[in-house]
Parts: sequence; structure tokens; C-alpha cells
Amino acid sequence: MNSKYNQWIPKVMRNLTFFVLFAGILCSTSAQVPAPQQAKPILLKGATIHTQTGHTIENGMLLMENGKITEVGNNVQIPDNAIVKELDGRHIYPALIHGRNLMGLTEIGQVQVTSDFSELGNVNPNVRAETAYHSASTHIGVAAAGGIGVTVTTPTGGLISGLSAAMLTDGWTWDQMTLKAPVGLVVNWPNMLNNRNLSEQLNELQKAFDKARRYHHARNASANQPVDIRWEAMRPVFDGELPVFIQANEISQIQAAVSWAEKENIRMVLTGARDAGYIAEQLAEKNIPVMVGGVIGGPARQWEFYGEAYALPAKLHRAGVNFFIAGDMGAASAYRLPHHAAAAVAFGLPKDEAMKTITLYAAQILGLDDKMGSLEPGKDASIIITNGNPIEFSTQVEMMFLQGRQIDLNSKHRQLYDLYQIKLEQVR
Amino acid sequence: MHIFGRFFKHVSFTFTNTMNNLLSRTQLHILVFCIFLFTGITYSQSQSHRQLGLRDNTPEVYAFTGARVVTKPGVIIDNATLVIRNGFIEAVGQNIQIPAEAWQIDLSGKTIYPGFIESYSNLGMPDAKTIAESAEKLPKDGRHWNPQVRSHFSSSLAFNYDDKKAATLRSMGFVAAHTMADAGIFRGSGSVVKLAEDVPSRMIISTDISQGLSFQRSNELERGYPTSVMGAIALLRQTFYDAQWYSQKHEALSRSGDLLTKKEINPSLGFIARAMQNSAPFLIESEDEQYVLRAANIANEFSLNLWVIGSGHEYRRSEQVKNSGVSLILPINFPDKPEVQKPEQSLNISLEDLRHWYLAPENPALLVSEGISFSLSSHGIDKPDNFLKNLRVAASRGLPKEKALEGLTVIPATKLGIDHLYGSLEKGKSAGFIITNGDIFDDETKIEEVWVAGKQHKIEDTDRTLKGKWLTSGGSIENVILAINYRNNRLQGELQNRQEETLAKLENMKFENGRFSFSIPRDTVWSGMRLSATVSDGEMLGFGETASGNLFSWKAEKQTEEPSDKEEKEPGKTAKLLDLPVLFPSMEYGIERKPEQPRTLLVQNATIWTQGADGILENADMLVRNGKIEAVGRNLTIPSGAVVIDAAGRHVTPGLIDPHLHTSIAGNVNETGDAITSETRISDVIDANNVWLYRLLAGGLTTANLFHGSANPIGGQSAVIKMRWGGLPDDLWVQDAMPGLKFALGENVKRSPGRYPNSRMGTAQIIEDSFLAALQYEKEKAASQGRRRRDAKPFRKDLQLEPILEVLQGKRLAHVHAYRQDEMLMIMRLAEKYGFTVASFEHTVEGYKIADELREHGAAAIVWTDWSSFKMEAYDAIHQNAKLLLDAGVLTSLHSDNTQLATRMNWEAGKILRSGVSEEDAMNLLTMNPARILRLDHRIGSLEPGKDGDFVIWNGHPLSAFTTADQTWIEGRKYFDKEDDQKLQQQVINERALIIQQVINSK
Repeated sequence: MNSKYNQWIPKVMRNLTFFVLFAGILCSTSAQVPAPQQAKPILLKGATIHTQTGHTIENGMLLMENGKITEVGNNVQIPDNAIVKELDGRHIYPALIHGRNLMGLTEIGQVQVTSDFSELGNVNPNVRAETAYHSASTHIGVAAAGGIGVTVTTPTGGLISGLSAAMLTDGWTWDQMTLKAPVGLVVNWPNMLNNRNLSEQLNELQKAFDKARRYHHARNASANQPVDIRWEAMRPVFDGELPVFIQANEISQIQAAVSWAEKENIRMVLTGARDAGYIAEQLAEKNIPVMVGGVIGGPARQWEFYGEAYALPAKLHRAGVNFFIAGDMGAASAYRLPHHAAAAVAFGLPKDEAMKTITLYAAQILGLDDKMGSLEPGKDASIIITNGNPIEFSTQVEMMFLQGRQIDLNSKHRQLYDLYQIKLEQVR
Repeated sequence: MHIFGRFFKHVSFTFTNTMNNLLSRTQLHILVFCIFLFTGITYSQSQSHRQLGLRDNTPEVYAFTGARVVTKPGVIIDNATLVIRNGFIEAVGQNIQIPAEAWQIDLSGKTIYPGFIESYSNLGMPDAKTIAESAEKLPKDGRHWNPQVRSHFSSSLAFNYDDKKAATLRSMGFVAAHTMADAGIFRGSGSVVKLAEDVPSRMIISTDISQGLSFQRSNELERGYPTSVMGAIALLRQTFYDAQWYSQKHEALSRSGDLLTKKEINPSLGFIARAMQNSAPFLIESEDEQYVLRAANIANEFSLNLWVIGSGHEYRRSEQVKNSGVSLILPINFPDKPEVQKPEQSLNISLEDLRHWYLAPENPALLVSEGISFSLSSHGIDKPDNFLKNLRVAASRGLPKEKALEGLTVIPATKLGIDHLYGSLEKGKSAGFIITNGDIFDDETKIEEVWVAGKQHKIEDTDRTLKGKWLTSGGSIENVILAINYRNNRLQGELQNRQEETLAKLENMKFENGRFSFSIPRDTVWSGMRLSATVSDGEMLGFGETASGNLFSWKAEKQTEEPSDKEEKEPGKTAKLLDLPVLFPSMEYGIERKPEQPRTLLVQNATIWTQGADGILENADMLVRNGKIEAVGRNLTIPSGAVVIDAAGRHVTPGLIDPHLHTSIAGNVNETGDAITSETRISDVIDANNVWLYRLLAGGLTTANLFHGSANPIGGQSAVIKMRWGGLPDDLWVQDAMPGLKFALGENVKRSPGRYPNSRMGTAQIIEDSFLAALQYEKEKAASQGRRRRDAKPFRKDLQLEPILEVLQGKRLAHVHAYRQDEMLMIMRLAEKYGFTVASFEHTVEGYKIADELREHGAAAIVWTDWSSFKMEAYDAIHQNAKLLLDAGVLTSLHSDNTQLATRMNWEAGKILRSGVSEEDAMNLLTMNPARILRLDHRIGSLEPGKDGDFVIWNGHPLSAFTTADQTWIEGRKYFDKEDDQKLQQQVINERALIIQQVINSK
């Protein structure tokens, strides 16, 4: 192995890597080996702890017990049976949250049979992402190696696509990996410009909600009301438990969606939000949470600033909008999440804010903040250990813990790399 | 000839059908010969057609008196007389003796203009669908192999007079039109025809004088090659070469008396060859000003007499359009008013489109001021009324009226070779003219009549005898006033009482052939009454029926000419003219002039990534003189007069190079019509009007290799460009770069259903088959050239095999799109068998699996940082690909394959760092390595003395995720500056707002 590569891999990891490499060559299918439950307390010390909620703690300690963070500070009582890891000035951050991705629902884009993210028809409120999550997808390990602890796997297509689910990036089966499901009901607002079927589509969407609401009242009134599998899935929306993630990019689309959500009295998260910068003050005033669906991209219009898309988060931040950043939809590209946050920094978003858009704010808007998003006692011990700011390219994610379990950061890429280094060694 | 034409027309609809039904191959050739023999013979008095019934010998003599006659643009005779006899002008001028037998027509207050000539139409031609249907019935032999080549199609034989279409053209003032079919890439011949029914032998003024071409294939014709503009250009060029070869071959055979040799018979090529030899005009439509230049390139290559039908964008590059030397036919057709009512909708309209909407009516004027003369055309105008309207708008925007008239009369007449008959009103010429009620450039003026070859055609009734107030008497409509007026040339009227108060609106008003009719709405005293009357000076003699069926007669007498002398018109909004800067390109972020090149330029106090032997220099300076780097080092002295840039705290790198990009390519990136399309050239279709060129500069990219797509085992010829924003395609193109050819393997090439290859196995075979063909071609070429000149055999230049041969000879770089290791090994082994080296693999997804084989062969690897799993062959993509390839000693580069990605290549290289690649090596992936792959490392790729002054000033470490370009320089010219960009953004916003207000304020 290359010596530079060695420098940043802790010894434990190196051994694990060799083990996995060996295992990988033998069976050549599995990438990551899922980690077992946390057995003993783990104390990390000598680290810079970026809590996201309070001050950053220099030379700090973080204690993880039974999958939870139990203490964070400069002076933490070390339990007798704890495993103590000296981090030598490394950094601890919350594990990153990718708020919208096709992870587990697709393996190879152009191979249709590997795709499960879109169901037939326009109205599918009942389909659930976690039930089709392919836990052995090779892309999960790549995301994990990039510091991503959770992806919100999201169905797409039609007017009501289905229910999204927050999935951990480590585990043997989908039910082990499900952090929270459902996260939200996914709605795609119809295109308001040059759309011949606009009124038809608006009508179809409205009807679905009207029917579901009537069904909800009927169920509340009588247990004898037969179950409708579609409308049953929407009941938490009317109880205010489940937010509706409405995809809208263009100005009139966004305003129509906001006004509709108010009328329907439902909790709304605006997703996509390409043009949100043009009406940022209004979104702030109405306190609409926003998921910026990717920062890296070109301007939508020929006359716009070349950095229009990159500059959106900074605009939203200045206007006081409550937002977070999601990365690419593609499963293989999920690992690029921090690049999106970094691009926002290059175009004006403060670095600390950028970090929060993929941790704390993402957790809050996605309803995961009881477990994720910050380094506070009581939250899941889902953290990453790095040698620098995770959104900078050169930074290495050296370790990741999810709910106190140390995750194997091996991936298919790493395995193939190691394998073909052997080929190269042989011809040398 | 005309007899032939007429005869065939009766028998069958088109020439092609005719041939199929009636003629053997030999007869066809006789016919072809006849067409040539008779080409150019035009009208004469005597007739060959047989008279049916009694002969009409009424003298057809007319004398028009008292008119203002414009005999030709700029020559006006007031109160003139025009005498025509039997369709020809006998006299024009003042003091002319009126023949006793003449019908005398008083035209006081009217104006007579020479009839207009439409330079480009498809009048009387079968449409593409009909042509396709008849073409399908034909046998394939004896035809050109490509169904888009239809140069054999004769407009004179196919002409089928269509009075409806002719009437539309007449209503705009046209008396003659040049017509050709609009199907195919070679569309066949054009003829000039009269715009009125005449005896058959007089319908066509001039037969088969031109040939039509196109940059676009017709989808109605059999599908296949070409599917792209670059494919169409290749087909045009190959066919012109074939035509030259065809005629040389036939000449050589007849010279040698060797009539027994099997020779190719291909009338399509024969027609093209003859047209080339006769310098007959070739016509082609353009989509923007760059197509004019593309057409001119073809014209220059084959010395064609080329006429280009303009797109209205020529003003954007009027100087180059002028220098191109092509003849222009300008459709006087302007873009529709943009939809700006909803602000969110207007956001989606580009400044380019807004500018063009505003500037298009100025196009003719701007071309005149450049000294370009042109014909004007109604081509593309949907509503006939818009023709005169647009002409007047063009005049109001500075087109001199005389030039406008010339473009419709003398210029097309001369160009089409009919100026002995058309274009002006002079003795002996055809009696084709326009009668108007005023200056044709006045908004109020109507064309009243158009005379074609001495025959009257009424266009617009300007009779206003109805206008005024009429007092009724008699019957059921006693003692009321009919107040009648015109609004926008449409009748409107009211029923009023004697106090002139409105009682009812008149409905269903009609005035035809002197009889006026109308009805009265239900909710009045006269409810449901229907009335009509014959109108003469000051009196109506009427008849009516009430709703209950009572019939009555009535009368009316004119009281006054009021309501008003002037017709009421919709209130016109007048907008003041805008003063828009001239921008290159004429769009957002366009520049007013090419950036200055300071004689000496010193960049100071920067961290300079030389990417050469000096490595990364802290706190260093760089001196650029006349666009070339002169020195890089610490504490360079400042030459006097130097432009100095303090780059303290900033980083400077060479301009970034993307060796694989598909941006700024006009008319389709892929030619999918065939598996081997090596004849297509990206350099033919570079589109310089693409805002992404500017955005690429904003990302620090200065050079890119533009590629044909990957749908073909052997695709097109690539073109290296530098982002010289504001330049034309040829300014962007790095013409002295070593040429390249795109190959492609794997999934993409086997995706076209029914096209060989269908597998990776077949891909290998078709590529090797092409190599064998190229080597055979080399032998034939040598044999034809090796002898003394007079013995030289006509040699058919093969544009498809030439570039393949160049690859085999090592004169052209083979760039091979490949994902899997097996396919890469296949082509390397094939290349070794044929004695050349693969220059680079493109994408090289599994390159890490055969790093040692790549190194052995000497092929470079062009890779992505992290594209993976979007298709089966990308499933084994790994983020460490570049790392392993570099470690193995393979020349490795990054690429984008995606225009947006190409605007942030420094970030792509930054992402590589995690795999353990050093910073300098990572930067080399964007600079020195692609320069070496493109064989341009003597000019670009590093900041070393003697190289081009292409560099980027970054606001931080160039591989950081937070860093962006501050300035981008090419050859010592600053093409991008973040601070200037702020100003440009504001200018874009201001100009958009200005033009949008203009849209709102315009009619």
C-alpha cells in the first residue's frame, strides 16, 4: 500500500482494512462488514469537538454509551470499562445527513431492473421507501466512507410519490438500518408555466388530499370505516405529525405550494427550491422550512449569474430562511453531499453555517433532531472523526460511529483499488 | 422542353413518377440532356401549343394615366402614362400618345411600382411528404445512395401552378417567384415562374437555373444518414467531391474512347457537376449568422456561386457576413413579441432573445450600412399582411426605401437572370407592376392591384364610397342616419337618430360588387331587420325585410363624408428607439470588443503553480509579453509601461484544459446515421454564441477538446478550442493543434437498433474493416497520383477514409471512448497490429484494471473523478482510478464530458486529493497532462517561458472546495474578471428591463 495512504489510517482501521480486503478477495461481493451493537462505553479524547449547537470544544472528550452520547466536555469522568481512544487533535463532528437520495432504491442507472424508486400512477402516498431498501447496495459504503451517516431515501415521480425514510449507512438488513420512517410525504407540485395539463394535475392533487381528509374524518368517527391503504398512509399528515415535502423550483410553483399548504393546514417543507432566492424574504416571513436540492449546478436561465445555484444558500441565509442542503439524488453520488455545502461557502455562505446545513439544520427539518445533527448528551452516538473540516476536499473521514457502533469504512471502490494494486505489484 | 414538362404533368404528377412510369434509363439520360440543352431559354412570342377553339385577337392594350410611376428604385415620373400591349410595356413616361385601341385607365392619385420578385419559394412544388411517397416507389439503382440527395429533381418538370399560393404572393406585390422543392439536403433545381395562370408554355420564365441545398435533412424522406448538421455538411462536401470526380471520370472515358468500361451512372451527380461548371447558384437556408459562414466555407472549398437565405441574425456579424462573399436573400420576417406579461415568465426569456426581438427589424438597415446588398423575400411569413408591415418597420428602422425596392426588384431580377423582363418598368419588359393608393412605405397605403404579364389582379378594394352619413327614407326605416366608417380597413356602422345619438350598431356588414348589406340587432325598434342596397354616388337604392317578414324598399342620401376623413385606427403606441451597445456575441455577458493584450503584463506576489520544473513558487512573479510567458520567478523587475497585477495572497495556475467536452456544438453532437462517421468534423459546427463559453472562463477553463458523441465505433473529428469569448467559431478553434478522431467502444455504439454492430465483437470487426478499407484507399490514392499529370486517373476523394488513414499513418490522434478493460485491450491490440498507438482512452473507467497494459502501449487515460454506476459498464468505477493510473506511470488527465462540470474542474481535481494524489499531480491532471495528450504541451499546460499566457488567478488554494477563479487570461488577454462580471450582471439586468419595457410599449 502507498505510504501516504498509510499516514492517515489509524492502526485499527488498517488492520480492519486488510481483513476486509482479504475477506473481499475471498468472497468478492460484500463491501462493508456491518458493525455489532456497542458493547462497552467508548471515550474519545484529545479531540476538537464541533457540537453544532454550542461552542466548539478544544481538546475535548466525548463519551458514548449504549449507542448514545452521554457526555461531552473538557473533563469527562471515564467509566472503568470504557475503551479510550486518543484522537491527537482530530476533529469530531456529527455524522452527515443526506436529506434526499435514491440510496438503496437504485443500483445501476441504465439497468432498469435495478431501479425501485418510482411506482405506477400519479398518486402513491402509501409506498414506503424503507421496504425496498437494498441493504447490500455497493453505494452505501461509498457514502459512509464520505462521512454520511444517514440518507433520506426518497421515492420519486407522479404527484404524490410516497413516503421517504431515514436510513443508516450501516447494517445487515433494512429494518436494522431504518432510523426513522416515514420522514415525510413526497409531493411534486405541477409545473405552472407552459403546462397544458396544469389544471388537471392540480385537480388530481387536490382530490387526493380532499379524499384522504374525508377518509381521515370517517376513521376518526368510526372504527368500522374500511381501510383504504392509500388514504390511511396520509392520516399522520392531517394530524400534523408528518410533514409534506413539496417539490417546487419555479417562483409561481413555490408560491402556489406555500399558499396551498396554508389552506390545507399541513406542515410543509419546500424542496428543490431553485428560485427560492427570488422570494427568500417571503419564505422567511412565512417560516417555510426549505430543502435546497443540490447546490452544484448551472444557472437555470441564460442571463443569470454563473454562480446563481451556488449562491442560493447564502441568499437564503441572509434572508433568515430556515433551510438545509441536500446533495445529489443519485445513490452513487450521495457521497458528494459535503461538496454541495462547500460550494455554498465558495459563494458566500459562512463555513459554520454550511456545516450545519448538512447536520443540525437537516436533522431539525427532517425531524431527526432527537437523534442526530449535533453532539449533545442524549443524542445517538452518530459521529465522524476527521483530520479537518469535513466539507474541504482534502479532509479525510478517519472513523465513523453510528449509534455507538464503529463503522467499517471499506467500500467496493477501496476493495477494487486494493485488488488491482496486487495486479500491479505482480507485474513489477 | 416545355412541351415535355406539360406533357408529363398531364400524365403524372412529378418528374420522378414520370420517370418511373415512362422512361427507361437511356431515355432518362436523353431527358437529362434536354434539360441542359434548353436551360435558360425563356419566353418568346410564338407558341408551340395547339389552339383549341377560336383564336382571341382582341387587342390587349391598356393605357394607365395620371399615375406616379416608379420605373425603377429611385426613378419617379409624376403624372405619367404607362402603355402596355399584349403583356409587355410599350411606353412609359410623360407626354405619351395613347393608342386609340387602348383601354384607358385613370390612375390619378395612384402609384405604380415594378412588380416584386420573390427570390425563394416552393410555389407549385410538391411537398416533402408527396416527394417522399413518390421516391419510395422508385427502384434504387441509378439513384444516389442517399435519399437526401435529390439534385436530379427538376422544378420545371414538377411545377404545378397553385393559384391560391400565387394569389398570396401577389397580394404582397410579387409578380414572379423563384421556386424549388424543399425536400432533401440536395433539393433539386429551381426555376423562375410567373405568379398568374397563363398558357402552359408561358408559365415558367426561366427553367432549372439553380440548385437547392440544406443543412437539415428532411425527416419525410427515408430515415438514416445524416442525423446532424455536421453530417449534412459532410454529405454536402462528399457529394460535391463526388460530382467533380464523376464529371472528370466521364470526360476521361469519352476522351479515351473507352465506352465499354463499366462506369457509374448517377444523374444526381451529373446535375450537380453541371451546375458547378455553369456557376449556377446554389441556395441554402441559414439558422443564424454562423450558418452563413459555414455555407461560405463550403462555397469556398468548391468555388460555388452560393446564395444564402438569411435568418435575420446577420447584423450580429455583419462584417464577416460581408467578407464571406455569399449572396444574401433576406426574409423580411421578424420574431414575435416575447411573452412578458407575467414577471416569472419573462425571467425565462434570455437577453439574447430580447435583443434579437428588438434588433431584428434593424437587420436590413445594418447590413446596408455595412455595404451589403441583398434580395428581400417573404419566405417564412405566416400572415401575408405582415410582409408590407415588416417592410415598413424595416424602413422605419433605417432601411433606405430605395434599397428595399431594389431588394425586391432589380437585384433579384439581375441575380435570377430575368432582368431583361423584370425588375423595372421599361419599354419591352413584361407588364408586371403594382398599383397602390400611395407611397408603399406609408402605413395607410394599400396595394390595390397587381398586374402580371399584362393581366389585372385586384388585391384590395379601397373604394370608400360607403363612408359617410346617410339619411334614410321610405319603408320601415324612415328618417334615421346610417353612419358608416372603416376601422383598420374593416367596415363598421351605426344607426343614429337625427340628433346623431347612437341607436344601434349595424351587424353583418358587407360591401361587394356595389351592393351593400347589413342587419340590425334584436334589441332595437328595428329588431332583426335585414337590409341591402345598391350604392352609387350619394345614393342608396335599398330593399329590406323586417323580422316579421314584411318586405319594403328604401332609399338613403349621403349627407356628409363625415364621421372623419381619416380612417380610425387603433391607437398606435409609439416607443422611442433604444441605444443598445453592439455586443459579441449579441447576448448576455457579450463583450464590446476583443480584450486588450497589454504588451507587457506582470503578475506579482502570487503563489505560482508553474506545473513545470520549478514546481510551486511562493511569493513569485510572472511576466507575459505579447501574449507569451517570458519569465516566472521571484522579484522580477517591472518593465516600463507594464500592466501590473498584485496577486498577493492569491494563487496562479496555468489555464485549465478539458480534453473531452461536448459544448458549443451546433445541430447535434452525434451523427447516429451510420456506424462509421469519420467524415464529420466538429470544426464545421462550433457554436460561438453559447453563454457557457463565458461560464467556462469563469471557472478558469481556457482550452477544451470538443468531441463528437459516442454513438459510433468511429465518430467524428474533434476540434480543440480556446474560450476566446466574443470570437467567431474559427477564432475559437485552435487550427494548428494535431487533429483527432473519436472512436467509441462498449455499450453506446451497439445501442442503435438494426445497425451493425450489435456487440463488442462486431465493434472490433467494423473498426478493423475500416482500417482495411483505409489501407486499400491509400493504395488507390498512390496509384492515381504516382503518374505523370496527363496520365492521372480521376481519383475519388473519400472524406470518410481520409481521417482513418491519417490515424493509421500516425498523423491523427485516436481518442477512444471506452469503459471496460476488455474493450480497451481489444483496440490496443488492434492498433498494435496496424502500427499506431491509441492516443488516449476517454472515460477509461476500468483503466485501473489494466494500468500496466496502458503504460506498455503508451495510451493516455482520461478519467472522471467520481462518475459511477450510471450504466452497467460504469459499475466498477472507483474514486481511486486516477491515483492508481498515476502510480503506474500512465499519462492521466481529468475530463468533464459535461459542460457544467467543466466550469469547476479545480474542484474535480480537489476531490482526487483524498485518494492520496499529491497537489501538484492533481493540478497536472488539469494542465500539463491534458496538454501532453493533445500534443499542445509546447504551447500550454504550464507557466514556463515561451508558452501561451493562459493563466488563472484564484482567490485561494486552487484545489480547495472554497476557491473560485478571480481572473482568467488567454494569450495575455483578460477574458474573465470577477469584478467585471458584477458590472456585466448589472448591465444584463438593466438591458433586460429596458427591452421588456419596449416590448410592453410596442404594438
